[in-house]
Amino acid sequence: MKKNNLILYGVLLVLGLTAPFLFPAFKVQISFMLILIILAMTWDVQGGQMGYNSFGNILFFGIGMYLCASIQIGMFFPLAEWTESGGEKTFLHTPTQYFQGLAVGLVFAAIVPAIVAALIGYGILGLRGHYFAICTLGLGIAAGEIAGGIELIGAGQGMTTPPWPKGIGDTELRAEFFYYICFALLIATFSFLNWAYKKRFGLVLNAIRDNEDKAEAMGIHTMRYKIVGWVVSAFFVGLAGGLVGNIVGYIEPIEVAFDGREMGVFMVLMAILGGKGTLWGPVIGASAFHIFKEGFWTFFLGWQYVALGFLIVVIVVFFPEGFMGWLREKYPERFGEVIDEADRKAQVELK
Amino acid sequence: MNKISKLLVTILSAIALAFTSVSSSFAKVEGEYIVLGAAVSLTGKYSTNGKHTQNGYNLAVERINSKGGVKVGGKSYKFEIIYYDDESNSKRAAQLAERLIKQDGIKYMLGPYSSGLTKAMAPVTEENKIPMVEANGASRSLFTKGYKYLFAVLSPANQYLEVAIDLAVEKNGGKPVNIAMAFEQDAFSQDVRLGIVDAAKRTGSKITIDDKLPKELNDMAATLAKVKATKPDVLVVSGHSKGALTAIRQIAEMKVDVPMLAMTHCDASKLAKQHGKKSEYALCAAQWHKTLSYKDKFFGNGKKYDKDFTKEYGYAPPYQAAESSAALLVYKDAFERANSFDTEKLRNALAKTEMQTFYGNIKFGSGGQNTAKPMVLFQVRCKGDTCENKVVAPTKWASAKLVHPVPSWSKR
Repeated sequence: MKKNNLILYGVLLVLGLTAPFLFPAFKVQISFMLILIILAMTWDVQGGQMGYNSFGNILFFGIGMYLCASIQIGMFFPLAEWTESGGEKTFLHTPTQYFQGLAVGLVFAAIVPAIVAALIGYGILGLRGHYFAICTLGLGIAAGEIAGGIELIGAGQGMTTPPWPKGIGDTELRAEFFYYICFALLIATFSFLNWAYKKRFGLVLNAIRDNEDKAEAMGIHTMRYKIVGWVVSAFFVGLAGGLVGNIVGYIEPIEVAFDGREMGVFMVLMAILGGKGTLWGPVIGASAFHIFKEGFWTFFLGWQYVALGFLIVVIVVFFPEGFMGWLREKYPERFGEVIDEADRKAQVELK
Repeated sequence: MNKISKLLVTILSAIALAFTSVSSSFAKVEGEYIVLGAAVSLTGKYSTNGKHTQNGYNLAVERINSKGGVKVGGKSYKFEIIYYDDESNSKRAAQLAERLIKQDGIKYMLGPYSSGLTKAMAPVTEENKIPMVEANGASRSLFTKGYKYLFAVLSPANQYLEVAIDLAVEKNGGKPVNIAMAFEQDAFSQDVRLGIVDAAKRTGSKITIDDKLPKELNDMAATLAKVKATKPDVLVVSGHSKGALTAIRQIAEMKVDVPMLAMTHCDASKLAKQHGKKSEYALCAAQWHKTLSYKDKFFGNGKKYDKDFTKEYGYAPPYQAAESSAALLVYKDAFERANSFDTEKLRNALAKTEMQTFYGNIKFGSGGQNTAKPMVLFQVRCKGDTCENKVVAPTKWASAKLVHPVPSWSKR
């Protein structure tokens, strides 16, 4: 690792670890930013590196959220009674129960979406281009409608996640606790993808994006890699979902869990804003997006989506390759690209 | 990578600076203003009702401020509200509650529109021990959780249409009736459904159709086809404003004859204006109606409120606006009785509220729901082409007699 990189990672790590104390009022706000970064990064595995525009990653988010909450409750109390008639009853977890439940819940919130991704992926990753995009778009919407009909998880009434147990600190501790879990998850996601992109896995994903037929002709089992890619995304997105359910405290099928209209679109937007197909792009995009959204959103009371639309137009027109793409074009040598001036000129003249 | 690293570090420090510079604003009581926080739906599927809520809040703030404000500790204070747009999204609402409390330093909250959003915000306000007086979250499950800082000026959702079932049974000579019902998949409508299920059990009535409608309701033809085939005694529909409009449009198009049609949100959706004669005889549950004879010294009575509101915003106030205004009156009363800005003292004062407003009597039960005010039912009646809502139940305030059964489409 280069010295500069080390400094950068060091600064980020220290900033991440101290953030709850530096900005005590923003703990939950920053936790959400970390979650958005995770969503953008995992979307980029398909959308950026592999060239498959998936609108269905929100499916894993929702599954993780419902599963984690259901297990947290179901391990100790009857789930059906908890959600009955709009969740009129609430049972109290002891601290030990709470943390046991959360740990087991999160494990399942990671594994089950990954399995679902493998199964669905086997079925639909044969589709390409628009067909894949449309198909995944349907997945999220269908899941929301189905979840809205299952009484056990509260149906249209939604369900509450277990409240923070009494007797071990207040809401500040709760916010700090979830902040650090989110931060740990982000580090895990980043490190894993950073490692994977440098291996053969990353190269194959890029090969699929650049020319899938050629990659196949060269003897690569593209299907296998595509599925593994989606499983990786589902794993981390499911975990993120489980955490968000607990941070928000209330799960609703369409607006919180399978929120394709907001989270599902945002994750695409953030990755493109930062520059898709790069490691840092989604990180920068998600951070910038969240800060823009939280900082300026409230000034446009009622008009924020018009502002967002304007932002999208600006991005598409001026930064079609995103922030990282723009940097890359401007300073190609920083990205390790060598340009032969004489050759470039010759090509321009040819045209 | 060198330059990029530097750039990143610069951006990060800029962000850090921006964060620290805004986090120091504290705003529970600023100068002569008592600052309340509210997230309302200005965009998204609840934007119509969110606007009613906001207008109701604003009118009351203006009125209270111009009539001497709130007297605490011998000094007169004015109300001010910080608004955010929750985009009709419960995740956003919970985030905004957090933001209002933690970042803006808000100590007193007003509720959002709809049960779902209130359900999302209540855990946050409760954990932070911030009182929230809400006017638009009627779901029964809000009041069974033992929330101590949540107070609702409205009657719980399960009471909305129970009366209609009782009425139908009464008109049927005390014999059980067949009920067809269709409810949107959201917290409020599902609660209204629970009320109907209870009423059906109590009266021994049979539920013949029990449909779930999707959110963003645009078509309920499938349910109506079943209604046409099975001929129930009562059809109950609830799905916020959009649901009410869709139901009336399609019932008229398909000429569905049913002796009693009971709904929610007729006045918020301006049913009588939008659909005119097509909506005639629809029976609607409402928290409030302008002809009720409650009084207070800020708005006078319901009729005066109706006039003032219409003058200010150019349309007649639906009950969603009236109850929102009432929430501010409750706050004013509680602040003056607590004679303090301390949230605990204010909370205790709120719990002891017992007052009359133009909107109705307000007294909070142990769960925070208003126990002092009954629901009203009205029926859309037309004279020529102008249609109006007439109160038909409870009989104390009834200004018209219930028309039952509804004349069939062939005779209209």
